[in-house]
Amino acid sequence: MKKLSLFLIMALALMVMAACGNGEDSEPSASADTGGNADGKIELTYWYAWGDKIGENNQNLVKQFNESQDEIHVTAEFQGSYDELHAKTQAAFAAGNAPEVTQNEIASMGVFAKSGMTQDLTSFIEDEEIEMDDFNPGLMGNSYVDGKVYGLPYLRSTPILYMNATMAEEVGLSLDGPETWEDFKEYARAFTNDEGRVGMSGAIDLWIYEALIAQAGGSTMNEDYTEVAFNSAAGAQAFDLWRDMVAEGTLKLNSGTEAGDKMKQDFINGHSGMLFSSTADLSYLLQLADEKGFELRTYFMPSGEHAKVPTGGANLVMTNDLDEEKQQAAWEFIKFMTASEQTAYASEYTGYLPSRLSAAESEKMQSLYEEKPQFKVAVDQLENGIARPMAENYPEVVKILIDEMTRAILDDSIPTQDALDAAAEKANAVLK
Amino acid sequence: MAFAKVQVDMEEPKTRQQSFISWVKVRPYAMIFPAILVFALFFIYPIGYMIYLSFHDWNFVSPVKDFVGTANFSYLLNDRDFREVISNSFIYTFFTVALTIGISLLLAIWLNRSGKLYSFMQASIFSPHIISLVSVSMLWMWIMDGDYGLLNWLLNLIGIDSVAWLTSPDYALASLILVAVWKGIGFNTLVFIAGLQSIPKDLYEAAELDHTPPWRRFLKITVPMLSPTLFFLTIIGVINSFQVFETINLMTGGGPINSTNTFVYYIYEYGFQFFKIGYASAAGVILLIILSVLTLVYFKVLSKRVHYR
Repeated sequence: MKKLSLFLIMALALMVMAACGNGEDSEPSASADTGGNADGKIELTYWYAWGDKIGENNQNLVKQFNESQDEIHVTAEFQGSYDELHAKTQAAFAAGNAPEVTQNEIASMGVFAKSGMTQDLTSFIEDEEIEMDDFNPGLMGNSYVDGKVYGLPYLRSTPILYMNATMAEEVGLSLDGPETWEDFKEYARAFTNDEGRVGMSGAIDLWIYEALIAQAGGSTMNEDYTEVAFNSAAGAQAFDLWRDMVAEGTLKLNSGTEAGDKMKQDFINGHSGMLFSSTADLSYLLQLADEKGFELRTYFMPSGEHAKVPTGGANLVMTNDLDEEKQQAAWEFIKFMTASEQTAYASEYTGYLPSRLSAAESEKMQSLYEEKPQFKVAVDQLENGIARPMAENYPEVVKILIDEMTRAILDDSIPTQDALDAAAEKANAVLK
Repeated sequence: MAFAKVQVDMEEPKTRQQSFISWVKVRPYAMIFPAILVFALFFIYPIGYMIYLSFHDWNFVSPVKDFVGTANFSYLLNDRDFREVISNSFIYTFFTVALTIGISLLLAIWLNRSGKLYSFMQASIFSPHIISLVSVSMLWMWIMDGDYGLLNWLLNLIGIDSVAWLTSPDYALASLILVAVWKGIGFNTLVFIAGLQSIPKDLYEAAELDHTPPWRRFLKITVPMLSPTLFFLTIIGVINSFQVFETINLMTGGGPINSTNTFVYYIYEYGFQFFKIGYASAAGVILLIILSVLTLVYFKVLSKRVHYR
């Protein structure tokens, strides 16, 4: 027995020592982290969202950066959707091991900056000769929080109208595309048939709603983000466009976690004639349309009283509380990723916008536009580009609004204004 | 018994050496110390921290945690969505556990015999249990798809209109219960079969000699003898169902219109999507209280009725 207890005490002591030892161990490795690795290179981690073509593009650009110089080494890590990326960044930041560089979906720039997770880049921009004027002004709205620059435009988009041109010719529609909401409704009616085909398959998606409400002359939030503004006449008009078309049977609104995939499936399988989706899907949809044997064309979103369209996608941001050496390295990386050449590469690879004017005018992009004019639509449409609201509680506002909209879409008897007022009341309580 | 001898050994040094007495007293604590340490670090501390956070307003990152008293709780209890979350959780748990246990028990009684067919059936019914919940969710999302799904295709074949399984607020929760039952039956059946096989055959033989009808044999022998198994499966089922997350996250995202939002998903949503960790912690505290009360009541009321041999 005594031997056993002695053994147990030893084991216990060993465990305690191991536990303490761990603490000591982690110290030097942590400082090694900040200092650099064995080759003396500064190690950076970069997190990005989305896989497939977009993921490949991120990996390729990071590889180019690592090969372009020998002082900094960046490891790019895939983190899922924007929501997942944001949740993980936040948790990692709280745990003290956040990546040095990450992406912020543009409507989230405010939350991250205001809670102190991202670094104010203003001083870097002033110190360096970075051509800020070269960024497309339509994309800069979401870079500023309280007048300071917190991120640079990286993989950016706008929603555009995709149309099955082969099908449009079959039903006798002009290939000029719909210019106004009325044209758009006409087009949708023409595509709809008795065999279950609809004019458009879509989703109750707030990005698209932001476009429609801006086209009707309103916005989802007031200027200083203290109250919602979607329960205005413009908000009702925008929502009624959806509701009228659903009632006519020319618009199918998918819901659930798969809604975004389903509307694309419907479009590709010829169950719908048109699609509102991000320009980021262009390469992917062109490839699928080619396999299915139909011609895909892209257009500006049809306009209401105004021609307006929100921008989307992600900005590159630097996380807060880095030491100076890492800050400098992270800044070098961000500069590289948002430079003209890389922007052109990313745009061609994915369909995202070239966020720099010089990139859009470059020979590479110009020859692409000649060959595939579909790529040019989103760039031209940027002249109508507006920023997304960056209210701190916007994700919660979005959820509340989508719930009430879904309720009204499922139940015809709820008046549009009532649905929006109900959402506004709940959302305003959240914003206080 | 070996234990008695050990006791004697341990008593012995007491008389010999004063300093050793205290060691004898301390030894059991020293021995459970590692387990307690792990328990404290990974259970007590997080629970304490959650309770602490539930009285604060915090976004996970800012250095300041604003003390807000019971504001989080009063907001929660006045929130219509949260009341819906509580009722969804109870409905989901009740039907999932009742259906899983009922069906598993019937299957176990049917399958509790030897033969190739029965072994094959047992294996087939158990197989969903070993598939990861993520794969199960993906599989059922395809089966339950409104337009291209297998279930609606079958329904249409026999002339019934398509059902919006996951996208209608009327059906979505029921669909999730269906998936949970499908996934849970295998494990429950297996445990029930093990329970059935441990019931002595002579009880049934005696009953047969007395010409006891089969349903009476089921009620008076099978159910009482199975009661420890039933007790175990119910309590595990209730706790697991209250904590459902993966299927909801993947299949419905808590929607449509909150109709499938349950406790853990709600906590995740507020903590990691809306960055309101204090509010999410308050919901966590309420979940903890509900689960503790349920478990306690269950032990107090039902443990008396459980027949342990």
